[in-house]
Amino acid sequence: MSIAGQIDQPSAEPARSAESARSRLAVNRRTVLGAAAAGGVGIGALRVLVYPELRRLLDGTRSLVGGRGDWASPLASEKARVAHLLRRTTFGATLEDLEQAASDGFTRTVDRLLETRPEAPPAPAGAGDPRLSMAQLQLWWVDHMLSTSTPFVERMTLFWHGHFTSDYRKVGLQTPFIYWQNLTWREMALTDLRSMLMRVTTDPAMLRYLDLGTSTGQSPNENYSRELMELFSLGVGHFGEDDVRAAAKALAGWVEPRPDRTADVVVDPVNHVTRSFPVWDRPTTGTFMPRRAYAGGPLGFLGRTDTYDAQKVIDRILAQPAAAAFIARKVVQHFVSAQVDGSYVTRLADRFRSSRYDMRTLMREVLTSPEFVADQSYRALVKSPIEFMVHTLKALRAPALSRLVVQSAPALGQVLFDPPDVGGWPNNDAWISSNSVVARVNFVTAVLGQARSLPPASEAPGHLDTVLGPTSVNLLNATADDRSRWLLALASPEFQLK
Amino acid sequence: MTEEIGINQLKRRDFLRAGLVFGAGATGLAAGYACVPDAFARAVYAAKVNGVVNDRVLVMIQLAGGNDGLRTVVPLQDPKLHDLRPKLAAMSVSQALPIDDRLGLNQNLKGLKSLWDQGKVAIVEGVGYPNPSFSHFESIRVWETGDPTRRQVDGWLGRTLAQSYDSFGHPLTGCACGTTDVPGALRDLQATLTVIDNQRSFGFTGGSEVEAAVGALYRGTPGVYGALFDTAMATAGESIAALRTSAASYQPMAAYSDQARLVYSSKNQLAAALQLAAELIVTGTGVKLLHVTLGGFDTHYTELSRHDDLMAYLDTAVSAFYQDLAAHGAADRVMIATWSEFGRRPRENASGGTDHGAAAPLILVGDPLRGGVYGQAPELTDLDTTGNLRFQVDFRSVYQEILGGHLGAEPKEILGGTFEKLGFVKTPALTY
Repeated sequence: MSIAGQIDQPSAEPARSAESARSRLAVNRRTVLGAAAAGGVGIGALRVLVYPELRRLLDGTRSLVGGRGDWASPLASEKARVAHLLRRTTFGATLEDLEQAASDGFTRTVDRLLETRPEAPPAPAGAGDPRLSMAQLQLWWVDHMLSTSTPFVERMTLFWHGHFTSDYRKVGLQTPFIYWQNLTWREMALTDLRSMLMRVTTDPAMLRYLDLGTSTGQSPNENYSRELMELFSLGVGHFGEDDVRAAAKALAGWVEPRPDRTADVVVDPVNHVTRSFPVWDRPTTGTFMPRRAYAGGPLGFLGRTDTYDAQKVIDRILAQPAAAAFIARKVVQHFVSAQVDGSYVTRLADRFRSSRYDMRTLMREVLTSPEFVADQSYRALVKSPIEFMVHTLKALRAPALSRLVVQSAPALGQVLFDPPDVGGWPNNDAWISSNSVVARVNFVTAVLGQARSLPPASEAPGHLDTVLGPTSVNLLNATADDRSRWLLALASPEFQLK
Repeated sequence: MTEEIGINQLKRRDFLRAGLVFGAGATGLAAGYACVPDAFARAVYAAKVNGVVNDRVLVMIQLAGGNDGLRTVVPLQDPKLHDLRPKLAAMSVSQALPIDDRLGLNQNLKGLKSLWDQGKVAIVEGVGYPNPSFSHFESIRVWETGDPTRRQVDGWLGRTLAQSYDSFGHPLTGCACGTTDVPGALRDLQATLTVIDNQRSFGFTGGSEVEAAVGALYRGTPGVYGALFDTAMATAGESIAALRTSAASYQPMAAYSDQARLVYSSKNQLAAALQLAAELIVTGTGVKLLHVTLGGFDTHYTELSRHDDLMAYLDTAVSAFYQDLAAHGAADRVMIATWSEFGRRPRENASGGTDHGAAAPLILVGDPLRGGVYGQAPELTDLDTTGNLRFQVDFRSVYQEILGGHLGAEPKEILGGTFEKLGFVKTPALTY
């Protein structure tokens, strides 16, 4: 197949796109001059095409930061607030989704996001094989992110995948454990922290990833005990080394589930080599083996001496005020702003704790808080590589190119099922480096090179709230064809933000 | 699947054929595309007086996850080690490569042993800091910022870049190889830094038109991330140009091989990262501070084989790197220093591994070193209340000598104090 044969297609209805862009845009000479001055470019280089919010940006009254100015927040309008909401709670919306949500209004859209029953993904390809294929599993998840009718749950599943994280390198692909873990966080995405903590403790992938499955009461392994408190529930500084040791003893005894049977698989058809793999009839959790547990009596843990088991350890953790604040802070950093205000976290944490750690309550509280739609929150978060890539395919209506997401993920720094370490992925400014900006542009280049047809580029500003910096406006206006405009729009700093 | 087009196979020609043509305005903007730091940052640099003028280079290798010091530099004569580690000690001791009566290197550090015999390896024993944290992330932060009180936010190498070098317009002065994000040690808002995950993929697949257009696009970006975006893009553009030149004149003089499947971790491309580092050094790109990472050291389980594999991997990569530098006549100006957030617990656990520990030895390699053992080994019979080794040498003593002795960068301001002197640099650049 010739590459050019696939990509050398005229974009759909270019004439109409230019026409519709022109008809939608109010242009006046002052705005154009303003853009030219801000971008440092001679007026002669500009075409007469200016996106409408430019004026707002240039006339904005927000104070300047470092000579660069701030984005002009459009969040006074409900339509923009709805777009902001969808950008942060989904993997990007099509223009039709945005229209629909705008006509529903902000409140009803929040209700819909929170209350719609999650759509279960289809079984991954190759489900008959007891072994997993990582590339297939990654593609399966990206495809579901692109096609699901309940993207908020997928967004939360990714959040939990980075929080209660495990990687396939240590967990392995000879068992379905890492796949089960993904199903678990989708099912439990909006349940309660207490159930989730118990579930993650006995999750087969986690038993392997943080070594609880090989720990014993006699000679405990501290790995899971420490991360349960440091990374999953309390944060550093809210427990001591004695607590790590005590919980390591109390948690010991859980082991990986026994398989229901084994299946023979031909692993080398040429030499007729067959191997036996464990098979489970349905996803399950770990098993408790009393003889591996701690039998030494009461332990002092987080200030109270008791005879502890896993559930009691978790309940003792949740009796600490630090737990609700820890989760609330992380949610704020992922959904509201990298600059976290302490009193905001306290307010959210109080509601979270009094709701018995109900995640739906916490998320509703966050999404309906004034802070969520405050001007300071506008474009205050950087899209993670997966969010950026999936949103790109959504904007280009090109779900068929999902494999490019999987292929490009390592260069952009976020490979599903393979976080850099037990802390999961970093966020916001950590996503910006000389390497990642190049990788993001290359992803857009690859997608545009392989897309069979493109939507008109006049759709692009709709994915950017029509709020663009002067440089982006100048370049878009100076660029004639749709493919190039899409490249600029999707590679722009504006599109990297949410 | 034979029709699948990999992203790297998409040639610039094909992209252009698809009709990607930027307007005259884009080209006009691109002409002035260069790294333009914020006025604020520029003013800070202008105020600098003590810039470093020499050709010395530092390569930091992070052993991420907490390297087991007791299996890296093995105490040969301590019976207590066998009590604490019934499963792990015997093999480590019997197979170790002795460097003196008391200590041996892990049996897989064969290349380093040969460099030791040539007087090119310094070992600093018992390195740590007061009130150690057993959290990976907190302890990494302490080492990265050089601040056990956890107040400093910039990295110690980032502060060095900002204080002692002109990184603006010279983006390869500080470079992290083999990673997609900025290592904390190199982070400082008043310095520019290049991050290159993989040299082959570091470049714009869309060609020079795309490069020019996006270079122009990332200028004067508003918002809190604006300066970061613009600097990253400008740095990328300049680094790509510099790499194009350096790649053309570099020929590796050693066999680098990445056995990434050998050890579990997503980040193990140490050999490739060091090969890129060698290229940057020997082709005169002006690189001064390099950072690479080898992951997988969090050996809570089946440590025996996993740690041995990591040691072999480290040894092969560092040996090839040293050999390459030497063959290019650059070994006399490069110091290689390893670091890890902590050592591991002297007592082994039920999973055949060890939990998070505290003090550990550091290994430094290179011609600028005076080979030998420095510092002091902690006593296995005198563990602290958490069952861990007590540190004998503050890690900032090592930093101080790297900065002042090797690089010639004034250490006191960067580290906020003066620490015990160790003397492992052969010809110190500064007296401090």
